[in-house]
Amino acid sequence: MRIVKNLKNFLLDQDYYIDIFDNNLHVYYYESLIHLSDKLIKLKLKEFSLEIEGKDLIVSSMDNHEILIKGIINNVRFIR
Amino acid sequence: MNHFVLVRIKTNKKNKLLLKLNKINVSIKNIKYEDKYLVFEIINTDIKRIKKYLVSYKIEFIDDTGIYKLRNEIRKNMLFIIGIIFSVIVFLILTNVIVKVNVIHESKEIRELLYDALKEHGVENMTFKKSYDKYEEIIEDIKEKNKDKIEWLEIDVDGMIINVRVEERIITENEKKYNTCHIVAKRSGIIKSIFTERGVAEVKLNQYVKKNDILINGMIKLNEEVKNNVCAEGLVHAEVWYTANASIPLSYTEEISTNKMRYNFMVKTKNDEYVILKSRINEKKVKNIKLFSIFGMNFYIQKEYEVKKIAKNYTEVEALKKITNIIHEKLILKGIQEEDIINEKVLKKNINNGNLDIEMFIALKEQIGVVKYYDIETDSGTSDIKSNKYNNRLN
Repeated sequence: MRIVKNLKNFLLDQDYYIDIFDNNLHVYYYESLIHLSDKLIKLKLKEFSLEIEGKDLIVSSMDNHEILIKGIINNVRFIR
Repeated sequence: MNHFVLVRIKTNKKNKLLLKLNKINVSIKNIKYEDKYLVFEIINTDIKRIKKYLVSYKIEFIDDTGIYKLRNEIRKNMLFIIGIIFSVIVFLILTNVIVKVNVIHESKEIRELLYDALKEHGVENMTFKKSYDKYEEIIEDIKEKNKDKIEWLEIDVDGMIINVRVEERIITENEKKYNTCHIVAKRSGIIKSIFTERGVAEVKLNQYVKKNDILINGMIKLNEEVKNNVCAEGLVHAEVWYTANASIPLSYTEEISTNKMRYNFMVKTKNDEYVILKSRINEKKVKNIKLFSIFGMNFYIQKEYEVKKIAKNYTEVEALKKITNIIHEKLILKGIQEEDIINEKVLKKNINNGNLDIEMFIALKEQIGVVKYYDIETDSGTSDIKSNKYNNRLN
């Protein structure tokens, strides 16, 4: 599925996309990590910020463009 | 491909460290939060950047990952791996090498003949074994080249030893002495068909012939004068009669599968069979699947199918049908096809101690011609009766 998404992104030239599945949140094309704690994670994307609220939040993998967050996710908020 | 390494950094403020790592654009994956350490995988070249920008942190190398870890493991255990590969190669060589070729025959001449013939085909001591098909080819070739000396030949591979069993061709004196022969009847019967390839047919269709009557004459006569002598050849089919006795128990056990199956292992040596696990099925049917064989021991996986045994009785009609089938099977084993059976009739039928005994009359169509050599000068058939070159089934 990831291959399909990457292909779609390449073809459609998307700025970002976000996947939420089973206590995981995968963000592609974020710019930076602003805040990191076990209850709140803030990410800066191109045109807005993303706030992830939850419990026992941890960063599982982190790259220049993508980040995988694990934990109990209660709320995902877009701030423009 | 990026070379990721597993590292750890001692810190109590793991989130702060992650933020810093993110700031300096370091890619990390498989992050584990341990008690006083943050353990993660990082690209090898990024370690320098961490050391440069995060001076206060001490980064510890733990291990390589992926293919690099495998490469290191192989390097570490190189001697052991080479040892295993070498052992496997030695084992394969040993199991495929002929240590001894053993020709089993009392005649030294035959033994030497075969040793030489096998050597020509590359079957000798300290050479590699050949495939079954190749051995078949070798057998056919040796038999073809030594038609007058070898009747039958078998190559049996027993581990690292090749046993060659051979039967010498014995040419009888009469065969050597005479080239003339008749086709005579080996059994009394009524002629049903005659096919003469060489010689003169002496019998007609539906004629009754007795044992040893000449069917195809090797003497070719014209006006009672012998013009030529040949070795008669041909096929003579006749209706012949037999009586057959057979017996069958009226009660039998029928096995019904319960669809319950258990696996087991079995080791089979030349003389014994050993089942490795204790069988939990009392009444069973077993199917063996060979896994491999080593040092003369065969290892099997055994499928045990549970069956229920039910005692049943045949009715007289069923028993008669069954016993007739048994007689037919016996006839087929002797080379007689069912279509050759002209007539059959039950002569006697007795039930004795729970068994059904029958005596059956059978009329068969059978090739009754056999070769009988004779001397031209004495004009008397010798006693050397030999099977016709055509298939001679009942003797």
